[in-house]
Amino acid sequence: MFGKLMMCGAALFLIASQARAETIAEKVAVCTGCHGEDGKPVDKTIPTIWGQQAGYLYIQLRDFKRGDRKSEIMQPIATQFERDDMLAIAEYFSQKPWPDLGQPRAPKDVAAKAVSASASVGCPACHLDRFQGDGTVPRLAGMGRDYLAKTIADFRTRARGNNPGMSDLMLATSPDDLAALVEYLAGL
Amino acid sequence: MYVKGLAAFAAAVGVGLLSGAAIAQEVKQEKQSVLGNANVSPVTQEQLNAADKNSKDFLLTNGNYAQTRFYPGKQIGRDNVKNLHVAWIFQTDVKESLETSPIVVDGVMYVTTSFSHVYALDAKTGQQLWHYAHKMGPITVYCCGPNNRGIQVLGDRVYLATLDSKLLALNAKTGEVVWTTNIADPELGYSETMAPTVVKDKVLIGTNGGEYGIRGFVRAYDAKTGKQLWNFNTIPENSVGVWATKDATGRDMHRNIQAEKDMLAKIGDPYAKLGGGVWQNPSVDLATNRIYFVVGNPSPDLDGSNRPGDNLYTNSLVSLDLDTGKYVCHFQYIAHDVWDLDAVSPTVLVNVKDKDGKRIPGVIHAGKTGHIYVHDRKDCSLIRFSETMVPQENMWVLPTKEGARMLPGANGGVEWSPIATDPGQELAYAINLHQPMHYRVESSPYPNGKLWLGGAFTAIPGEQQSGNITAVNYNTGKIKWQVKTPEPMIGGILATAGGLVFTGEGNGKFAAYNSSTGKELWSFRAGAGVNAPPSSYMIGGKQYVVVGAGGNTQVDFKRGNNIIAFTLD
Repeated sequence: MFGKLMMCGAALFLIASQARAETIAEKVAVCTGCHGEDGKPVDKTIPTIWGQQAGYLYIQLRDFKRGDRKSEIMQPIATQFERDDMLAIAEYFSQKPWPDLGQPRAPKDVAAKAVSASASVGCPACHLDRFQGDGTVPRLAGMGRDYLAKTIADFRTRARGNNPGMSDLMLATSPDDLAALVEYLAGL
Repeated sequence: MYVKGLAAFAAAVGVGLLSGAAIAQEVKQEKQSVLGNANVSPVTQEQLNAADKNSKDFLLTNGNYAQTRFYPGKQIGRDNVKNLHVAWIFQTDVKESLETSPIVVDGVMYVTTSFSHVYALDAKTGQQLWHYAHKMGPITVYCCGPNNRGIQVLGDRVYLATLDSKLLALNAKTGEVVWTTNIADPELGYSETMAPTVVKDKVLIGTNGGEYGIRGFVRAYDAKTGKQLWNFNTIPENSVGVWATKDATGRDMHRNIQAEKDMLAKIGDPYAKLGGGVWQNPSVDLATNRIYFVVGNPSPDLDGSNRPGDNLYTNSLVSLDLDTGKYVCHFQYIAHDVWDLDAVSPTVLVNVKDKDGKRIPGVIHAGKTGHIYVHDRKDCSLIRFSETMVPQENMWVLPTKEGARMLPGANGGVEWSPIATDPGQELAYAINLHQPMHYRVESSPYPNGKLWLGGAFTAIPGEQQSGNITAVNYNTGKIKWQVKTPEPMIGGILATAGGLVFTGEGNGKFAAYNSSTGKELWSFRAGAGVNAPPSSYMIGGKQYVVVGAGGNTQVDFKRGNNIIAFTLD
């Protein structure tokens, strides 16, 4: 774990060369250090971006640059990109295949609890009925378990501050239900 | 309109485990547009004006400019509806929420799907004539599903508004794009799901976005060029109003007016990001050249602390001059709404009895509150409101951090679903939801076009949900009949001169009822939620009834991709 994080942190040192990158392949070279060369993140708290919705990826890059979403690693990277770069990078990764992280399906009782909680706050209204997301709404199905848990926790404390509507919905859901949702979504 | 914090039926009954793991990407935009050759005559303004008398075609989303959804044909009637059977089924390429109102012109049917696809079909056989697959921009922001509710045709053009907030004119014969206009910036929370209303060479369109801090509008675009002709902001620069303390029915809304006035002095008028989407079509009074529509909720939905005042014209009936877009009158149902019990279902123009029993031109609207409101068309004033069609409890308790229980839930009552009317019987037919919810409030600043609920609406686990079909006499306000359904109802309803009403349910049932008594006369199981408004038409001397069965995102009913037409032998 420590070694992987060191590799991921090393991405910061690539930022200088990032500024000179011209092709998309050069621009995204820095991403593989954390998000993985094969689309599988090097650490479980890092999100999957291969196969993610382009609109969502763009908005996150935009928000990192604006400072609406905080990350010591992502903010310096995103700051170098203009809007067209962000859109192109988002499109690039959205076209990659979603990786199978090999996470087990949730047991039936956990899945039932998750589905009931999801219906209560209306997750499918935006993430759609199979949690594939669309446009600026992310795919959650098969996302890394630890990343999901961390993100939900950050929404609840508003440490993840770039979507207060999500914070409201996560605060309206009990921690037990959210734990079930994490397990359920990771296993889809 | 509703938000994401809704409550799906599954929450109450614990059904519907989402199917499958590692599911493939949803079916959408895997098909490219397929141009074709639909042999269709141009639609004239005169035809549109007389749509209420035309049983051959179904030219407007709600049947005619008055939006009565009363179909004048009567070949299918109370005696023979039991023999109704499937004529054809067309499967679209998009298996996602289906809210389309099929439009029929000269034997050609136009239907739309989620993600803004359009199909032209042979209305007799269901054969595809062309398919327009909209190339969606990467940025779409919407609260309640990637829906599309339909198109309208004028001349030889089909008008479509898309999820990424564009307005398009397509060639009605081939499906080719004639022009495209950007309506608003989706990155700021604007999107389009409604069908345009086209009248006198103007394309009228509202906007979604009341959950994202937009400033709502209704606009007219030139049908020939796509150039904007006028814009009406649904939120005026002075949105404060009269500090109303009671709703349209006289109930206290528990506002803290002094706190609001203090906030107003501190932050000024909050009009710029106050929401006020317009989800559904305006009705058009051809005699007076006015349009009537309703405006949705203020932003953020549940938190009123940073939006002092009545938040005009949210949750209101509004009338404008068709030629200029100038304000004529309004009536606000709920000032300073903090429950998202807004105004969404399209307005209907019918003659009504005023308080003295004199017949006058009226306009009616079915609210999320569960009332049907009856207005004087001249000045928008309220004449009466109906008995409640759904249980009401604890109104208007203010939302709390822990969650306050109140009925109706935030979907209504009557959601976006259009009502139907039968002027001969003086009845309005509405489909309703009953979803007990907790209303919770949280406060956060404007999030730059992101979801801005100001809290959450949550279905209360274990509390039974249901729905109903209700016939209301709009001249007395009394309920004439009501049919209870096992699930909340969302979609739409059609009344016919054959003495019938047709409507569908989330469990796939599509049925015909005696429009005078509510007695069920026929039903069909579609296999996916029937959550779209039906249409009817004649071709080759036979009457058809057509409806979409694709389920619903908002209330999470089983998805499908079928357009189903029925007829008699």
